[in-house]
Amino acid sequence: MLTFIARRLLLAIPVLLGVVFVVMLTIELIPGDAVSLMLGEHATPEAVAKLRDYLGLDKPLLVRYVGYVGRVARGDLGRSIQQNRPVVDELADAWPATLELTAAALVISAALGIAAGVISAVWPNSAFDALARLGSLFGLSMPVFWTGLVLIVVFALWLPWMPVGGMGSPAHLVLPAVTLALPSLAMVARMTRSSVLDVLREDYVRTARAKGVAERLVVAKHALRNAAIPILTLLGLQAGQLMGGAVLTETVFAWPGLGRLMVKAIFARDYVLLQGAVLIFALAFVVINLAVDLAYGALDPRIARQG
Amino acid sequence: MMPARSALLSALAVAWAMSVCLGSVFPAEAQKKGGTLTIVRPTDPVSLDPQLETTAPGAWVYFNMLEPLLTMDEKMQIRPALAASYEILSPTKVRFKLRPNVKFHDGTPLNAAAVKFTFDRALRGTPPARWASLAGSLSGAEVVDDLTVDVMTREPYGPILRTLAMYCTGIVSPTAVQKMGPDFSRAPVGTGPFKFVEWKTNTHVILERNPDYWGDKAPLDRVIFKVVPEEGARMIALQTGDADMVLLPAPAQLAALKRDSKYVVHEVVGGRVVFAGMHAGLAPLDDVRVRTALIHAVDRKAILENILEGSAVPARGVLAPSVFGFKDMQLDKLYPFDRARAKALLAQAGWTPGPDGVLQKGGQKLSLSWLAARGRYPKDGEITEAIQAMFKEVGVEAKVQFLEWATVFTQFRAATLNQHMFTLGWVTSNADADYSLYALFHSKQVPPTGWNTSRYANPRVDALVEQARRSLNQTEREKLYAEVQDILAKEMVWIPVYNTKEIVVTRASVKGFTVHPVEYNLWLGKVWLDK
Repeated sequence: MLTFIARRLLLAIPVLLGVVFVVMLTIELIPGDAVSLMLGEHATPEAVAKLRDYLGLDKPLLVRYVGYVGRVARGDLGRSIQQNRPVVDELADAWPATLELTAAALVISAALGIAAGVISAVWPNSAFDALARLGSLFGLSMPVFWTGLVLIVVFALWLPWMPVGGMGSPAHLVLPAVTLALPSLAMVARMTRSSVLDVLREDYVRTARAKGVAERLVVAKHALRNAAIPILTLLGLQAGQLMGGAVLTETVFAWPGLGRLMVKAIFARDYVLLQGAVLIFALAFVVINLAVDLAYGALDPRIARQG
Repeated sequence: MMPARSALLSALAVAWAMSVCLGSVFPAEAQKKGGTLTIVRPTDPVSLDPQLETTAPGAWVYFNMLEPLLTMDEKMQIRPALAASYEILSPTKVRFKLRPNVKFHDGTPLNAAAVKFTFDRALRGTPPARWASLAGSLSGAEVVDDLTVDVMTREPYGPILRTLAMYCTGIVSPTAVQKMGPDFSRAPVGTGPFKFVEWKTNTHVILERNPDYWGDKAPLDRVIFKVVPEEGARMIALQTGDADMVLLPAPAQLAALKRDSKYVVHEVVGGRVVFAGMHAGLAPLDDVRVRTALIHAVDRKAILENILEGSAVPARGVLAPSVFGFKDMQLDKLYPFDRARAKALLAQAGWTPGPDGVLQKGGQKLSLSWLAARGRYPKDGEITEAIQAMFKEVGVEAKVQFLEWATVFTQFRAATLNQHMFTLGWVTSNADADYSLYALFHSKQVPPTGWNTSRYANPRVDALVEQARRSLNQTEREKLYAEVQDILAKEMVWIPVYNTKEIVVTRASVKGFTVHPVEYNLWLGKVWLDK
């Protein structure tokens, strides 16, 4: 088990090296230069040259890459080009906000999604099923910036129960978490429904029912556990999706997360800051995938034996 | 519980009665209550130190903490700030007497050494300040005595006083800069009416009243600058009372807000002109008849009414009216919207209608390439598309390429520009015509040296703007700039479209606020709350 985890974490190193290289190359290839953007229309060519030299931006790409990787290996993510602030500090400001929002959204979509999916599967074509399917269609099709604004108008302006935006109290978390969770919730509900429905048609479920196991236990123990693998896979993917895809939600709700930080870094062509943020994301993806794989083993002993 | 509450209530009632009585004796002063002013705006600052930040999100905040030697009031007159008086000693040297007994927020005194330190750091630091390029010929300062400092320029430099009144030239505490190092940019120390409390990235910046301020102390206890990126959410925050002041409000809602007595819309004509630029070095735009025909083809009134919805005014030339040296170019008189005249001018230049409706000459179609960004300036994309359609009405084809700003910017900064037209905006940061007429129209100021993106070249204009730049006689400078604008009006290389309005919306309880024509100068020193 431990060797499995260690091997997977070691495999993450080439992934991270590759990610850093791709980010650096992309920023290099797209037009636009951090320094002249920063200094603006009024900058003299000398001022631009001086600052490029100071920041080491005139060095070739590979030299900068090797230098950057060397510094990261020593735990130094550098200073953001635009703000001259340690990238670690920038990330430390934004990362907890992203984690909080992602975790809340994931919990909402998993809890409500699985519950709705199971109910729909147990009573297919019921009124609840029809409503849940319509609801999930809505959740999947509505853009988050629209849902977000509607929620603000209803729950902050008309019914003044929630704050308009920002971060602080648990109340601040409710609207953005719900907004962010809606599309995932819909997907989880649909996946759970079809997956549980499939399992409920299996022979062993019929056997379980035949030998007199209570329906509640049939669904919870036999059906849901066997239907869990695709749901878990989806949740793993959604966790990554929620973390990286929160930019719009963060914008609507003035949530100080990593998504807005990255967008800012891209527009300013601040590759040092961008790399730091991307590294965090890549690392999070590696950890989530690992966790999902470990959970497979826990749910299905056959997978654990192979691993 | 009840007795305590009723005691509190009666105490409040007495306090209220007293304030009413006092109010009638001292009408304005006694009512100037403090409290916390919450401002919402779209983005977080890059930094709170002008050394690293010259854009509005940072300037709005640090303008209330760091004070320059001089300042520009709302009528664009130069007023003393940290300088009590000044005297022009020579064309390259101005002597400033500093206010005595002014202290930085860290308790250290403001003196000539601090002024010299600020300018040395900005102009000779590694790297120099972001604003060094805005400061023209400013070269440094010399200490004469504790409260006297000489400011020097490399060559005679007419705009020197306006340069020293720029929002970004605030004097910083040398002790704090040396002690804090790079952290200074997150918590600057100046002399202003507010001092720094806290900055939570992408959430808020908090300032509080400086109780030791040298001038009239600010009525407000605290100011909170919150980040709310979404325009709709900013307006809702104003309505729910989560915010007292909105910067960059939604233009579409202004008309309704103006009718509502709960809000006040503060607006003034600003310093930025947004225009469709023409590359005068590229055929067929090297022909002045073609250029002027294009201006006649544009219905600016329709653009202002239908696209900008009252959030801007028609541009009256290449400069904004608030800029020193501005002369009204009488664009509506010289170049009224007149398609027949546009067509006649194009015909004079040899362009005849082709089979597909597009004009042609010698088998060449009158087709113009056009580079534009979307969202860099208010409604820039929509304006570009509108003008493209208006060109089509007179038989001119425009092929617009919309790209992201960073990409567009790279093309503009390059030594050659292979685009006939471009959509751009320009703000005269120091409010002196030199800043625009020199950098935009001098033939030697082609990018990357300057910003003459039109590649305009006229030896007479070159001579006039050089002479005006070197003169310290402001009356003479005004005359020279007037002549420059007369020449430019005849040889138009821009289609000036609109002049921005600076618009700030507040709740009616916010008193004592005046919006400044220079967007960066958001002055909160006199603001108080009536609630």
